[in-house]
Amino acid sequence: MTLRGAFLLVTCVGFAGPVLHPADAQTMRAFSANRPVRGERLLIASLDFGSGRVVIQPGQPGELYRAALRYDAERAAPIQNFDPRTNSLHLGLESVGSGGVRVTSRTQLEQTARFEFSPDIPLSLTANLGAADATIDLGGTTLTELTINSGATRSSLAFSRPTRGECRHATFTVGASELDARQLANAGCGVIEVQGGVGRAALGFEGEWRRDVAVVVDMAMGGVTLRVPRGTGLQITAARFLSTLDAQGLTRNGNVWSTPGFATAKRKITVELQASMAGVNVEWLGSKE
Amino acid sequence: MRAGKAAAALLVVVTLISAGRLEAATGRGGWGEPVSRVKNIIPLIFLGSPDVAPQAVPTAEPQGPSVDPAHLNQPAALERSLRTALRRPLDATRLTVVGGTARLGAYSVGSAETVHGHVVVLEGDVDVHGHVDGNIVALDGDIIVHPGASVTGDVLAIGGHVREAGGNISGSVQSLEAVPLPSTAAAISIPTVIARRAAGFLGVFLTLVTLGFGLVTFGRPNLEIVSDTVMQSFGRSFLVGLLGEVLILPTFGMLIVGLVLTVAGALLVPFGIVVYALLAIVAILGGVLAVAHAMGETITRRRMAQGFKASPNSYRYLLTGLVALSVAWLAWVVFGWVPVAGGLILSAAAILTWFIGTVGFGAALLSRGGIREHFAGRLIPAEMLTDEYLWATPQFGVPAVKRPPKEPGA
Repeated sequence: MTLRGAFLLVTCVGFAGPVLHPADAQTMRAFSANRPVRGERLLIASLDFGSGRVVIQPGQPGELYRAALRYDAERAAPIQNFDPRTNSLHLGLESVGSGGVRVTSRTQLEQTARFEFSPDIPLSLTANLGAADATIDLGGTTLTELTINSGATRSSLAFSRPTRGECRHATFTVGASELDARQLANAGCGVIEVQGGVGRAALGFEGEWRRDVAVVVDMAMGGVTLRVPRGTGLQITAARFLSTLDAQGLTRNGNVWSTPGFATAKRKITVELQASMAGVNVEWLGSKE
Repeated sequence: MRAGKAAAALLVVVTLISAGRLEAATGRGGWGEPVSRVKNIIPLIFLGSPDVAPQAVPTAEPQGPSVDPAHLNQPAALERSLRTALRRPLDATRLTVVGGTARLGAYSVGSAETVHGHVVVLEGDVDVHGHVDGNIVALDGDIIVHPGASVTGDVLAIGGHVREAGGNISGSVQSLEAVPLPSTAAAISIPTVIARRAAGFLGVFLTLVTLGFGLVTFGRPNLEIVSDTVMQSFGRSFLVGLLGEVLILPTFGMLIVGLVLTVAGALLVPFGIVVYALLAIVAILGGVLAVAHAMGETITRRRMAQGFKASPNSYRYLLTGLVALSVAWLAWVVFGWVPVAGGLILSAAAILTWFIGTVGFGAALLSRGGIREHFAGRLIPAEMLTDEYLWATPQFGVPAVKRPPKEPGA
């Protein structure tokens, strides 16, 4: 074939191609799952959602759980596994195949998920959020235990209403992510643990006070902000390495910072702080008396 | 004959394009089972969704397709198994359902009927009026649980929906949307793809030009030394760059370990991480720009030797070099959508870019970031430093102009 022929061929292909060949469209799929309440007295839920936007909130009383996902089928597959013997649920997405690099707009790729849980059934929830942006409101649920593991994400956690039941323990693991937890007093958790890598965590203790709270913070190269309602007794025991502690209104005694009259305070928050190269900040909520 | 060859080649290209279209239509990557895909899609194109005569699906041979619907925890995997089992014509389908039965086409459970075991229905809706003691799976169909009906297991509709129309489902209810076939609106047209890639390409190009011009403005001596190192020690630069790429992570690890082991150095770990990363980026990026500078200089000088009039300066060298380096990516922008060829062009562009980056990185390392001229060919060997040039006859420049003209008779 001559050079001229080759040129003509390439030109033909160039003009014919756009008409004949639509480029590969993205394969987004929707998945939904729900299950009615059938006398369960506990739900141990484990959520996996690696990337995208996720909402977790209370659902309808008659439904044990409900999930609605929209996901990239080339990268992930839905998983829904409820074991009625143990009342344990595994829900969310698992990755399939090779991730690879996809050059396309972020909006196209965005996966979304909404998880809802019965407000009546005691809930022990573990959410592995990877790099998902999470909006979580568990106010009104019967929360017994909460674990949120986030990698490189921005999570917003709130308890807009007081929870029912007794929350024993809440653990937040933040890798290189930001966690903004508000109205934690409504959660009624006895122990709140924050383990951080290079992320930031803000813990706000607004809400209806039910019990004293013990907070354990272990941060490396991050920042922790404690937002405490004025009038609450606060005691911070800090083991710091190259970390700053901005504790306005607290008096220091060795490694312990306390509010005046901590021992007799009606509401108490005790904080055990281990921080290396982290900044710890205490903010007081409400106006001064 | 030539026309025949061209037509044959055109036919091959169009076939490849059509294959790509089918691949897009199925929404899956790879080239597996193209024939079956064609078989699956052609009836949809010409006949629409076929009505399947309701029938039982015979059990497959022992090594044949088999599914176990007792656990519906991985609906996508189950869908794959079911679609793999489907045959055209549909009555050639064979499937073994562990603990249940398989059906083709619409299936109904009467109000006085009780079905024990799992039910898998392919290519049809499931209407439950009676009782099913097991799980129900529908592929490309809806599951409707009518008033008075009950299902004592889980239900899963793949490519359909579950409609709880008054019946009772004890287990979980799942719906997995069908893989969307590309519509005209959803498909991304080739001009759009080209435009998007061109925009990305232009952005990267302009960024490199901006960075390069900044480098010329503020660090021209260093850039020129790295560029000269590329020209004078090309092979050596490549080898050093290759070695540098291999050692970049171990060196980083050693640096961090070394800092951590020393008490004072531990404080510098975050600083060390940032500085090391920045140095690596600057070395690679600066190296690429230096290669562009070297290419541009070579191209410009060759053109000037052929009579092209231009002012030789580093800005021109850099711009010319970057344009030359961009040719491969430009080819990908324009022809990247072509099946197979697009991938090859992309691979070639990526390899070329890596090669250039490696050479530039090596040159930057050899010249210590444009400080050391040892490999830049700028140092004149001592034996060349004679005073012989003082006796040479000036051929150009001011001395040549001032030289008295030769006498005609001399």
